[in-house]
Amino acid sequence: MTLDPAAMERLLEITGGDIEFVDELVDTFIDDATTQLDGLRAAVADGDAATAVRPAHSLKSNSVNVGATTLAELCRALEADGRAGTVPDLPGRVAAIDIEFAAVREALLAARASR
Amino acid sequence: MNGGRVLVVDDTPFNRRLLVRLLTSIGHAAEEAGDGREALARLRDESAEAIDIVLLDIVMPEMDGHETLAAIKADDRLRDLPVIVISGVDELDSVTRCIRMGAADYLPKTVDPEILRARIEASLAQKRMRDNEQALLATIDRQRSQLSRFLSPQVAALVSSADGEALLAGHRREITAMFCDLRNFTGFSESAEPEEVLGFLRAYHAAMGELIVEHEATLEHFAGDGFMTFFNDPVLQPDHAARAIGLAVAMRQRFSSLSDDWRRRGHVLEIGIGIATGYATLGRIGFEGRYDYGAIGSAIILASRLSGEAAPGEILVTQRTFAAADEAAVGTPAGERTLKGFVRPVSTYAINGMADGTPPATPSEEVAR
Repeated sequence: MTLDPAAMERLLEITGGDIEFVDELVDTFIDDATTQLDGLRAAVADGDAATAVRPAHSLKSNSVNVGATTLAELCRALEADGRAGTVPDLPGRVAAIDIEFAAVREALLAARASR
Repeated sequence: MNGGRVLVVDDTPFNRRLLVRLLTSIGHAAEEAGDGREALARLRDESAEAIDIVLLDIVMPEMDGHETLAAIKADDRLRDLPVIVISGVDELDSVTRCIRMGAADYLPKTVDPEILRARIEASLAQKRMRDNEQALLATIDRQRSQLSRFLSPQVAALVSSADGEALLAGHRREITAMFCDLRNFTGFSESAEPEEVLGFLRAYHAAMGELIVEHEATLEHFAGDGFMTFFNDPVLQPDHAARAIGLAVAMRQRFSSLSDDWRRRGHVLEIGIGIATGYATLGRIGFEGRYDYGAIGSAIILASRLSGEAAPGEILVTQRTFAAADEAAVGTPAGERTLKGFVRPVSTYAINGMADGTPPATPSEEVAR
């Protein structure tokens, strides 16, 4: 699932329905993710799977909080493999994360526009 | 509960913002740090408000959660600061490691506001209890040092010791009491100027007080020209009789240099000392608002009567004290004395000095001073 709406409802609930703050949080998520994707792409360029662990870890936990379930799962698997020491097809998996993030971003902005 | 000041240490702005927001909404002040290095710099910044709790992410660039936690626990001034580790569900190994390293608790990354609230409050309560404890210990220390200016050091130590209450409540023990006062102080205080009297008393109290502390006597009270001290309580001193005589001999010698000085100004002052050994009841004596650590018993009264009997410069001790001193002192029999309030006459000795010749003669320059 690209975006689980329950997560967004939960964020609204725990912030006491502060929609502006949740919007800011979504923007922060997108900014952070851009940095984390840069980190993942650098790991691909260097062919160094170990350096992919930290950005994958951060993107994973942020994704869980906004309900980006698929993105979170892709990152979790990459982080786990990176920690284990071997990541089969690092470039392909980072590309998949890149594509999934673009979809998540679309969905988040669309959800905001539809209000 | 009043809010605390929480430092959120996480490398992702998303998590920091969310946590800061949640903390603020439940009444806490929150600050952010992007990694361990930044967090330690903030914690060690003494010009900033003190942090009560640290929320610490584990996976961070520069200095990660484990390193940060280790640095906090290695720092004497930060060691007691509660650290709550923030972790993902797949990081339980790290959490276990952090708790072994001294972390207070952990929070899941997908944070639930109620759990956050409960854990922060629990850690805050713990932190405040520890802070109070520290403040209390500092107060006790301060009071002890203040008290020791008013009480005998032994009594000041007793008040804050573990078995202090039982001893203060009252107990019986054999003590040696030593009372000294001046022969013709009343005449002196009538003939001398008040400033002179005060000046003399200050010098006299300072000199005698110094010896009392030096000889580890418990000062029961002093009033005007008289000092009542005793030995073997609250600190046990098996050689209490010899110690009391030793103090008396030192006092007599110190007094003679003081009185020489005053004789030159035309005032003749003489000291008289009485010492007696016997059982007394010791403990808190007085009334709400003003208690003293006191001794009640015939030895106390006997010492005071003997001091009254003593000729100028004489140290009169009971036979019991002289025997108990076990040849530590040299004395001459001074007869049987009939004393007010005592049915039978009391055998006494006048002390010449200590068997080992202490104290050595006071150097003359000290007399001049």
